[in-house]
Amino acid sequence: MNASQGPAVDRSALRPPQPAPDVDTAPFWEATASGHLSICRCQQCGLWLQPPLERCRRCAASTAFEPVSGDGTVSTFIIQRQPAVVGFFDKVPYAVALVDLAEQPGLRLPGRIVDIDPDDVAIGMRARARIDALAGGDFHLPVFVPVD
Amino acid sequence: MDLSGCAVVGIGRTAYTRRSGRTGLALAAEAVRAALDDCGLTAADVDGITCFSTGDSASPLRVAHAIGIDDIGWAVGIHAGGNAVATVIANAAAAVITGQAETVVVYRVLDASVRYGKVTAEVSVGGVEQFAGPHGYLVPPQWFAMWARRHQHVYGSTCEDLGAIAINGRNHAANNPHAIARDPISLDDYLAGRMVVEPFRVFDCAYEVDGAVALVLTTAERAADLRHPAVHPIGAADSTGAGGMPDLWDDQTAMYSRDAAPRLWARTGLSPADIDVACMYDCFTYTIMATFEDYGFCGKGEVGDYFREGRATYGGDVVVNPHGGLLSEGYLHGLNHHYEAVLQLRGQAGARQVPDAELALVTAGAGPYGGAIVYSSRRP
Repeated sequence: MNASQGPAVDRSALRPPQPAPDVDTAPFWEATASGHLSICRCQQCGLWLQPPLERCRRCAASTAFEPVSGDGTVSTFIIQRQPAVVGFFDKVPYAVALVDLAEQPGLRLPGRIVDIDPDDVAIGMRARARIDALAGGDFHLPVFVPVD
Repeated sequence: MDLSGCAVVGIGRTAYTRRSGRTGLALAAEAVRAALDDCGLTAADVDGITCFSTGDSASPLRVAHAIGIDDIGWAVGIHAGGNAVATVIANAAAAVITGQAETVVVYRVLDASVRYGKVTAEVSVGGVEQFAGPHGYLVPPQWFAMWARRHQHVYGSTCEDLGAIAINGRNHAANNPHAIARDPISLDDYLAGRMVVEPFRVFDCAYEVDGAVALVLTTAERAADLRHPAVHPIGAADSTGAGGMPDLWDDQTAMYSRDAAPRLWARTGLSPADIDVACMYDCFTYTIMATFEDYGFCGKGEVGDYFREGRATYGGDVVVNPHGGLLSEGYLHGLNHHYEAVLQLRGQAGARQVPDAELALVTAGAGPYGGAIVYSSRRP
């Protein structure tokens, strides 16, 4: 809620937050870099795990990343009206949703809802992941496009 | 659970300001000294110290050193936000009751080097936030605006309902000279407030400040000889779900309190109807909405009417945040709620004194992670 003091800087030139993958999450970003959305999944009981884990939280078996459809439903969403996050100061207003993926109840990713007026986003709206480049680095990430 | 062998005997704080120009260490030392002065003890009496922080703060060891303590027997820093306030105080009480320490200081300090509502410098983010930050989604007002929207969808709650909560707290703060925001607001003022992150307006968000708060806890026996009436923590309960990750909680129309509240009421043998003062953690108005329902003061979707009908203020059912809360007194991460509860139960709250206040509920945290303590002006 504060403005940083000191000489004026062109905040619009700053990079958006960049992911800092670890060994458990790196395959997610490797998949998006090749244009795919993949999610961590237990190789024994089939439970999808987001955020990823080395071993299943239900049965402790090993996990691996598998492609998902990218289809989901907007569980809830916000419309950011005031600048709050570096890299997005000149992007307001924008909509971010929690998207429940079709593969499993409660399998949820946050993501920007794009190609729609933020005022037209609604809970229950169906959306599909699209892999876009993230500004300021080499990462790609899933954003969501309404399909209704 | 019985925490009543322990008492809060001293309270202290600094001024709450937008920008103090001071270090967290300086602010914490001032608040701790004020709390010791309040009860007539000195640093030489302190053998325990604890705080919670997110790595932003003056550590217990440094604060103990800064006030002249060279031998501290129990020093515990907990890495957490306002979610852990009840945990920290219950742990301090347990340390006193079990003899790990006789006199424990609990403090929290925030200074201008930390502001939670914005991220202005370039960052790389790990953990679960690596999936959120790159979308411009990284700060608490965004997380809980998600929750508020879900509640509106499921239960039909409205922005006007959130406004009723903001108005109630601001009206109370008008009687609190320590509050950072003391001008009463109307519903029109609330609705005219700038939209920060829809559905949250500026009045839905805690007022971040520089400052520090401290409490002194000691044994009930020692408390009897000290300056002010003792205030006893009589029960506490916490809950954490979804690994503390707000986006992953299964039902964002309720919070941690869905699980902690039944535990708290069972442990204390009390119910919401017994509570005179409720210092509800209010990083956002919606935090009060969801937790107020969970603790059982009213049913789902009824909070707006409850507040509009005057049931959350003087002459109503329970006075909610007589100090104005984090929304209006200032964001001291919820430890200021405990200061207020102690002041009220001592009968020292001046113009905002809740008549005959004997029992206070103080809640901590929002989302999937938090807890509460009940204080009594009498040892049960």
